[in-house]
Amino acid sequence: MAGVVLQDLTKRYDGGALAVDKLNLDIHDGEFVCLVGPSGCGKTTALRMIAGLEEITSGEVRIGDRVVNNLPPRDRDIAMVFQSYALYPHMSVRDNMAFGLQLRKTPKADIDKAVVEAARILDLERFLDRKPGQLSGGQRQRVALGRAIVREPAVFLMDEPLSNLDAKLRVQTRAEIARMHTRLEATMIYVTHDQVEAMTMGDRIAVINEGVLQQAGTPKDLYELPQNRFVAGFIGSPSMNFIELRLSKDGEVLRLTGEGAELRPDDTQAALLRDLATDTVIVGFRPEHLELAALSGPVLSVSVVVDVVEFLGNDELIHGSSGGRDVVAIINADNTLRVGESVTLSAPPRRLHLFNPATGLRITKDGPAGEGGVARLMSTG
Amino acid sequence: MSVQAASLPVGAQAKKPRLRLRPTRLVLNIVLAAIAIFWLVPSIGIAIISLRPNSAFEQSGWWTVLTAPAQLTFSNYQGLFSAGFKPGQVLDSLTTSIAITVPVTILVTVISSLTAYSLVFGRWKGRTLVFLLIVAMLVLPLQMALIPVASLYKVVDTSTGLHLFGSLIGAIIFHVAFGLPFGIFLMRNFYSGIPHDLLEAGRIDGAGEWTLFRKVVMPIGIPALASLAIFQFIWVWNDLLVALIFLGNSSHITLTMFLYGQTRALANNYYIISSGAMISIIVPLIVFFAFQRYFVRGVLAGAVK
Amino acid sequence: MAVAVPTTESLATSSTEILPTASTPAGGGGFRSHLGSLLFLLPGAVWLAIIVVYPFIATVVRSLFDASGQNFVGLTNYKAIFSTTDIIVSLKNNVVWVVLFPFLVTFFGLVFAVLTERIRWSTAFKTIVFMPLVFSATAAGLTWASIFFIDPHTGMVNAAVQGVSNAVSPPGLYPIDPTTGQTVAGLAATGVQSGPGGTLESKTTVGAGGTLELGLIAISPSELQQNGAVVAVAPTATSGAVTGLVWRDFSPTHPTQRGQVFPDEDGIPGLHLSLVGSSGSATATTTTATNGTFKFDGVGSGNYRVQIDASNFHAGFSGIFFLGTQSLTPTSSLSPTEQAILSLPIVDIAMIIAYLWIWAGFAMVVIGAGLAALNREVLEAAQIDGASEWQTLRRVTVPMLMPVLVVVFVTMLINVLKIFDIILNMAAPSSQAGAATIAVDIYNEFSSPTGQGLAAALAVVLFVLVVPAMLFNLKRIRG
Repeated sequence: MAGVVLQDLTKRYDGGALAVDKLNLDIHDGEFVCLVGPSGCGKTTALRMIAGLEEITSGEVRIGDRVVNNLPPRDRDIAMVFQSYALYPHMSVRDNMAFGLQLRKTPKADIDKAVVEAARILDLERFLDRKPGQLSGGQRQRVALGRAIVREPAVFLMDEPLSNLDAKLRVQTRAEIARMHTRLEATMIYVTHDQVEAMTMGDRIAVINEGVLQQAGTPKDLYELPQNRFVAGFIGSPSMNFIELRLSKDGEVLRLTGEGAELRPDDTQAALLRDLATDTVIVGFRPEHLELAALSGPVLSVSVVVDVVEFLGNDELIHGSSGGRDVVAIINADNTLRVGESVTLSAPPRRLHLFNPATGLRITKDGPAGEGGVARLMSTG
Repeated sequence: MSVQAASLPVGAQAKKPRLRLRPTRLVLNIVLAAIAIFWLVPSIGIAIISLRPNSAFEQSGWWTVLTAPAQLTFSNYQGLFSAGFKPGQVLDSLTTSIAITVPVTILVTVISSLTAYSLVFGRWKGRTLVFLLIVAMLVLPLQMALIPVASLYKVVDTSTGLHLFGSLIGAIIFHVAFGLPFGIFLMRNFYSGIPHDLLEAGRIDGAGEWTLFRKVVMPIGIPALASLAIFQFIWVWNDLLVALIFLGNSSHITLTMFLYGQTRALANNYYIISSGAMISIIVPLIVFFAFQRYFVRGVLAGAVK
Repeated sequence: MAVAVPTTESLATSSTEILPTASTPAGGGGFRSHLGSLLFLLPGAVWLAIIVVYPFIATVVRSLFDASGQNFVGLTNYKAIFSTTDIIVSLKNNVVWVVLFPFLVTFFGLVFAVLTERIRWSTAFKTIVFMPLVFSATAAGLTWASIFFIDPHTGMVNAAVQGVSNAVSPPGLYPIDPTTGQTVAGLAATGVQSGPGGTLESKTTVGAGGTLELGLIAISPSELQQNGAVVAVAPTATSGAVTGLVWRDFSPTHPTQRGQVFPDEDGIPGLHLSLVGSSGSATATTTTATNGTFKFDGVGSGNYRVQIDASNFHAGFSGIFFLGTQSLTPTSSLSPTEQAILSLPIVDIAMIIAYLWIWAGFAMVVIGAGLAALNREVLEAAQIDGASEWQTLRRVTVPMLMPVLVVVFVTMLINVLKIFDIILNMAAPSSQAGAATIAVDIYNEFSSPTGQGLAAALAVVLFVLVVPAMLFNLKRIRG
């Protein structure tokens, strides 16, 4: 097992397009790290550079203590699970798993032992002599996992391995991979575009957009303290609401106001806002943190005209508009709201996120903070 | 392919991961260049032979041209053309080849389309069986049909006064028959990819089968038709056996027959053979280069001819 | 509206289902559309029925009748096929083609397809290699016939071989022509006899101060002129040396007289001579002058012969008859039937090379398409598993390509069973019988007034040979 360090990892294509821009990430030995972001953000490119399937334009990849930039994939001590499983169609399951070891001239007895053990872990024993074409999607994915396990690599790389599975299998296999991680104590780098997957599986998550690392941290960090507007809007489902409010002074009291919304800041927020260079602020708040009540004291109040009500069982999902913008809220289903109703929703200060409208960065005391910080922010629009 | 690739800007479309091969890359290029040159040499050779006088041909090889280019001349071609359009000469053979190849190509493409339409969009029983028969016919050697068809022609000729055996018409009829299986196969494959809903919508709108065929299916099928036409054209243009059988004693012969006939001439006549060969090659070569894409596609689809 | 051509992908996938099946359309339309689409079938169906289906049956029937077509003879024609030596030769040739060609063309197609993946100019390369497909086999056969011409001056291959051969063992100034039956011994006219190792040597011996006159015939005047020959001069004796003359002992004015040096007889220049002592080993060498005289200086005691070296008459390379039926297998001592079956005519190899030139491009393009359709990620997985390029190729790529390789192989197999044009146009006229295949025989029998029954039987045999491929195709399509 080994850690992986990415240092200023960059990929530029011949036409000049920048796929990965100075990615810095420190993946600890035994950690499960998810690279997550929208399609085309560069996460798969980064993974393939770690694997050695893409040439590195600049920067460094270290696996363990070695700089592996110029090593071919087979010398990097890695195993990879592909989105399309990439099993050898003409070989049996057994041979698929044994192939890597055969190439290394491992003694046959050892190969058999490893294959059988992996098959046992993944419940593939009865398929060992079948060909991939005779297996279902879920079974094939398990074979792909088995092929990786058998190699006992320093690092496991996974490129959206669950994308081709149906919803139910996805949940099952997700658990299997998590179990594998615990059991093997392996370093795993997992690429996905699904933030739910990332949140549930990763020890830490690295959010990437347009080739640039947005934020890296634990799921909790990313959920509670998103460092920029992109991360804030990407993590969490349904996604965070954003409204732009204008700073105004009511005597000594600072307020943020906009059409249909008002923020009465608490002391911490007031302190941040006082030193602000801009006169508008973007306020983010999650649908699940809205309450149907008018609170006193420091609070964000939003008056919403209800547009669509979706019944979720215990809760209701409300789509509404406030001052011309869309607002989504999740409130308890006991409050049966009607379409066209006008309500006031509130969110407590500690559930609010303030962002600089020009830079998109979170407004904090000493500038952008958080592990792996944001060097530069591309447009988050 | 992963979704990533689609959203990169066009210039950055990920190349297939080329396996790296730095020092041997040069060797590879050299080897392939040598192979390419080897492949070109016969064509270049026959072209140059056609540009040398026959006296030179008998004494030295065409490669001497590299050191003595002055010997090149068009006299062989002039000789062929000056023979004019007399039957048995190159120009007449050229027109004969055209007169056979073009009608065959047109007939095969049209009839194949119609038949394929019926096989794909028709509603009658037994379509699969008929299609399997067609597939079986794909590899049927045309030798199986030569004798009876020749006899048939002769019978028709004597009883009706038509002229089938020994005429272009007879050759055309035979060629079409043996071009149909492949044509139907190709078009049927292509038409299978057209959604039925398209025709259902047309039928609901009141269109008859002929209209549907003409206005919906055939226009969509033009790429496949082009492949078929080109493939069929070149196939018939280059045929020798059918021409020999059905035009063996005829005064008008095809280019391939003309060339073959030269091999039986007593004199050493490569000045005729080489220039005649070049003339016979030019037409398919033009067709090939103009429609390369379609030809390759036709070849890929027809790996059973 | 763009509809993807299913054919390219369908050929390249490795799965069993090659074709998208035409699904049954939903209802609606009724009788009219039923009739309409059936009507469309008519032209093709009628055409095929008359020119393909009926003749197919008719040929089978015809094969059971004799040459005139009136008398039923059962399997006589078939028996004749397998007992006539000439036809056995044709069958043998078909076997040679079938054994060698499909494998070779698939092999080269695979090699080219794999190699061109790595270069930038693959389209140009593929076009070049693919282009010969556009030539008729007739034109290609004639082109390659000229390449294989026997005369090293005009035939490229023989020219190349001659170049190598002359560099390794150059011809002499006066080569003899074995094809006309010429021998070195036949050159001896006066005072000369055959010596050991293809040399000529003086009949008599001389000591120091002696002279010898050695006359040769059957040396062409043009060769002498080329080597700068002048009129022969009688040799003068010189003490301590052996002198002499080698001259062309043929006078146009005295054509039948030998032994005398006439004024219109030329010396033979440039001959390498050796002075051979009684021990048999050469003690000195020299070369004749333009007038044919020679001198060995410093000759010791004893008696010597003058030897004209064999190298002077070395024939040099005269061209291999590639387009002939010389067998590459050692069959000269076998019976005619055994020879028919076991000999491997060299012209077959020459024609196979020409045919490869035409069809390798086809194999390359089809296999190339299959290669391009392979899932890249499987190859990457092999890389990660630790396979080198060669290992990936051998253990992953080629096995995955197997379906495409088989299709190419079978297609070429069918093609080659019917091989015809190239034989007619490339094999030398004297080799036509020895190089013929079944298709050629069918044509010949068809053209002869008494061969119709035999031709029909041969056609049926050809069909039977093709049937396995036909079944293979059907299985593949239905699969």
